[in-house]
Amino acid sequence: MITLLKNGKLFDPARNKNGVVEDIYIRDGHIIAKPAGAEKISQTYDLKGKIVMAGAIDMHSHIGGGKVNIARMMLPEFRETIKYSEPEAHICTPNCAHNATPTTTETGFRYIEMGYTAAFEPAILPINARQAHLEMADTPMIDKGGYAMLGNDDYFLRLLSPNGSKKSADQKAINDYVAWTLHATQAIGIKVVNPGGISAFKFNQRRLNLDENNVHYQVTPRDILKSLSRAVNALGIAKPLHVHCNNLGAAGNFQTTLDTMQASDGVAMHLTHIQFHSYGLEGDKKFSSAAAQIAEALNKNKHITADVGQILFGQTVTASGDSMMQHLNAKYANPKKSVIMDVECDAGCGVVPFKYRDQNYVNALQWAIGLELFLSVTDPWRIFLTTDHPNGAPFTSYPHLIRLLMDKTFRNEAFAKLNLDAQAMSNLPSLTREYSLYEIAIMTRAGAAKLIGLNNCGHLGAGAQADITVYTEQANKEAMFAKPDYVFKNGELVVKDGKIVKVVWGATHVTKPAFDIGVEKNLKKYFDKYHTIQLDNFKISNNEIADNGRGKIVVNTKGE
Amino acid sequence: MMSANQKTNQCIATCPACGLLCDDVLLENKHNKLQVLNNHCAKSIAFFGQKLSDVSPQIAGKPTTLAQAIAQAAQLLKQAKQPLFSGLSTDVAGFRALYNLSQKTNGNLQHMHAQSMARNMNVLQCTGWQTTTLTEVKNRADVIVCIGTDIVSHHPRFFERFIQKNGMFINANQRELIFIGENISLQKLKKDALEASSLLACRAANLPEVTLVLRALVAGKHLKATTVAGVKVSDLQAVADKLKNAKYAVLAWVAKDLDFPHAELTIQNITETVAILNNNASNHSGRAAGLPLGGSDGDTSANNANTWLSGLALNDSNAAHDCVVWVNSFSPEKSLQKSNKPLIVLGNVNSQFEQVPDVFIPIATPGLDCSGTLFRVDSAVILPLKKVRENDLLTLSEIVREIEKLL
Repeated sequence: MITLLKNGKLFDPARNKNGVVEDIYIRDGHIIAKPAGAEKISQTYDLKGKIVMAGAIDMHSHIGGGKVNIARMMLPEFRETIKYSEPEAHICTPNCAHNATPTTTETGFRYIEMGYTAAFEPAILPINARQAHLEMADTPMIDKGGYAMLGNDDYFLRLLSPNGSKKSADQKAINDYVAWTLHATQAIGIKVVNPGGISAFKFNQRRLNLDENNVHYQVTPRDILKSLSRAVNALGIAKPLHVHCNNLGAAGNFQTTLDTMQASDGVAMHLTHIQFHSYGLEGDKKFSSAAAQIAEALNKNKHITADVGQILFGQTVTASGDSMMQHLNAKYANPKKSVIMDVECDAGCGVVPFKYRDQNYVNALQWAIGLELFLSVTDPWRIFLTTDHPNGAPFTSYPHLIRLLMDKTFRNEAFAKLNLDAQAMSNLPSLTREYSLYEIAIMTRAGAAKLIGLNNCGHLGAGAQADITVYTEQANKEAMFAKPDYVFKNGELVVKDGKIVKVVWGATHVTKPAFDIGVEKNLKKYFDKYHTIQLDNFKISNNEIADNGRGKIVVNTKGE
Repeated sequence: MMSANQKTNQCIATCPACGLLCDDVLLENKHNKLQVLNNHCAKSIAFFGQKLSDVSPQIAGKPTTLAQAIAQAAQLLKQAKQPLFSGLSTDVAGFRALYNLSQKTNGNLQHMHAQSMARNMNVLQCTGWQTTTLTEVKNRADVIVCIGTDIVSHHPRFFERFIQKNGMFINANQRELIFIGENISLQKLKKDALEASSLLACRAANLPEVTLVLRALVAGKHLKATTVAGVKVSDLQAVADKLKNAKYAVLAWVAKDLDFPHAELTIQNITETVAILNNNASNHSGRAAGLPLGGSDGDTSANNANTWLSGLALNDSNAAHDCVVWVNSFSPEKSLQKSNKPLIVLGNVNSQFEQVPDVFIPIATPGLDCSGTLFRVDSAVILPLKKVRENDLLTLSEIVREIEKLL
């Protein structure tokens, strides 16, 4: 059984194919080299004039786990937003969607309809990982995976802290613990959120700067970042440490972000939703864009990658592990309610609904800052297209965002409708760059796969998983990216003309670096003394993910 | 999981008899009869001590084959315009199966604890809250206020596991327990929970007033009254001061025990007291957190799964219906109120009935007859359940799948 996609125009940056017309052959869910003459082609799609890309990969989207479900639970009124047809903001277009809390089924469906074939939950609390995987198991159509959160858990902080009789543990003990966590939680990367700050909040600290001590452990965020990024690097996994910096959303926080880049010591590091960490203190309102400084630093530091976390206007909800900063931000909640949790000496969470308004100075400038970053960072392999779903906007806004990047007239028209004071504080109209299709394919496919370390996704070469999206080129890029002609998942046609024609279930991507199982000896002691569950029950087995055959684990290995 | 001194007929199991999901329970299986050897409580002994009766499926009280019972259940569901799936005492997999069946049959879902769950959900959806989880309580809590509940009636091992133990940042002898409510024996709690316990006795019906005054006092308001609902304001002021001076204060409640009209407003008094304590501006130096307790019969699991599947929390729908499907895996003694509608029971082998069901199909109980997954009462921790005795019962999902084939 071979399927042939012929005459398509390929945008496949992993193989330097920039609009090259080439045929694609698919067998058993994978792309294969042109088969020998004898093999029968059972199905052919003529894609003459069509744009062909690998399925898109969202490298940072809150699609499952405790805080997302709390958001759904707290906000029953959001179910109404599914029916909204009226634009919410002056610059909304028909493809702007406002449903920030989709069900698991809706999540899978909306992603695949846009040609996305994988999404990664960036903030799995290790203790809550089973819930994240249960929700992802109920998310159809796409592949998924996640990053486990460390750096605020007491086990790690005790290892790092010079407190007590023993001096802080050696790096090997930390490396083994990090690797063990990847295995136990079935994750593909490690994230740190407000390093040390979530723990500090439990000791009643309300802010934590990069070089400020957690009062109990006497370690700084800088210590934590160095230790974790070294560990991730030493384990040889592809995904660099995923860093949500200290001081999320605070005016003047760009300095923390620059210092965090410097703290990386040349070890690869990914700074997430960097828009929320690019704020200056200039102007009458003491809130300004520091996108230029951040972009300059990103351009210079080739070992740093970032995703943007663009905001778009309308109602959404912010769901973060950063209980410290979310508690501080809860006063801006709209509607006025929020959930803040301390979780299991492991982490925390904060869920705060937000309504971003284009006539609000701060919100309008946040919008501009995100776009300034996109347009000022020169290397599309190191900047990623995200809205930090649902924190900046629902992921369904991606086609709109892509048009903002590819169409400067559209962008400038939108800018002209913003709060006037915000316009006066942004250089956005002077940035005339327009992203090309090739650059969009880098950001949303090849770059994302490379960053996460997905062996067989994000490209169209032989051996790739046959996750393929086919578009008709249109002047209106929003319309183009909102509704692909065809989407193939593992070689099967699942979307036709933007409509789902077959329901399928994707795999869960993980990585399993080697480590010294001796680490469990101390962990077991720690669990027995301080935790409230058995160590063995913390670990998620492969069988749990396989879920009676509906799910599947794909183990990705660096360098394959 | 086997320790060195564990015999081959022993295992450490997770107990689903209450929302704590103690996963350190040592069981021994002798000729397929279970005995709890260690880390037991009255509830786990009863749960694991359940008989494995060889009850067969029934139609109108008469034994029948499984195939016939499934066919009859499917027939009743086909005839129904709007069935009600109630009880919902099952695990995540069981609930997912029921959710799908309810979608296919235009049904509604209602958990046996819907009323008490709604009290908490009302608060969550109105103001939200600031809460904590059991491991945080064990390692940080120095002042624990239990409002309207003794907790142990619901969770027999709560104090043993989380309060009497030394934590990472606090020793047990540095903790203080304060109870507010009725029918609470201080003497017993001093003995069983913590010596450093105190009680403000007040009737449950007066908790709205008492919690409101506590909230006001924590906010720094001065009251002219000297007593409220029989409680001295000076005693409540002492509680407020302890909360403000605590390093990590925990305010616990059990929604089921707050059984009076508009109990959600009392819960909100508690959660807003926490919010005031955590407010930067208030004059104190510690943290505080709420702790909703009391869940069981898979209610936390059903609520979470329903939320990610449908986008909404389970509500207390009490919807109009023309057929009832009562699902009860964990608590055979709990039965549905009498109804004149066709009744299908998918339940524990020892299920008891107020009325003879039209169809009864025995199912495997997760954590006993089959493996499974449950959410703990704090929603943060999700634990696997084990099959701990031999049986040939089908799981709820398997039965539901067979019913669906005939729809």
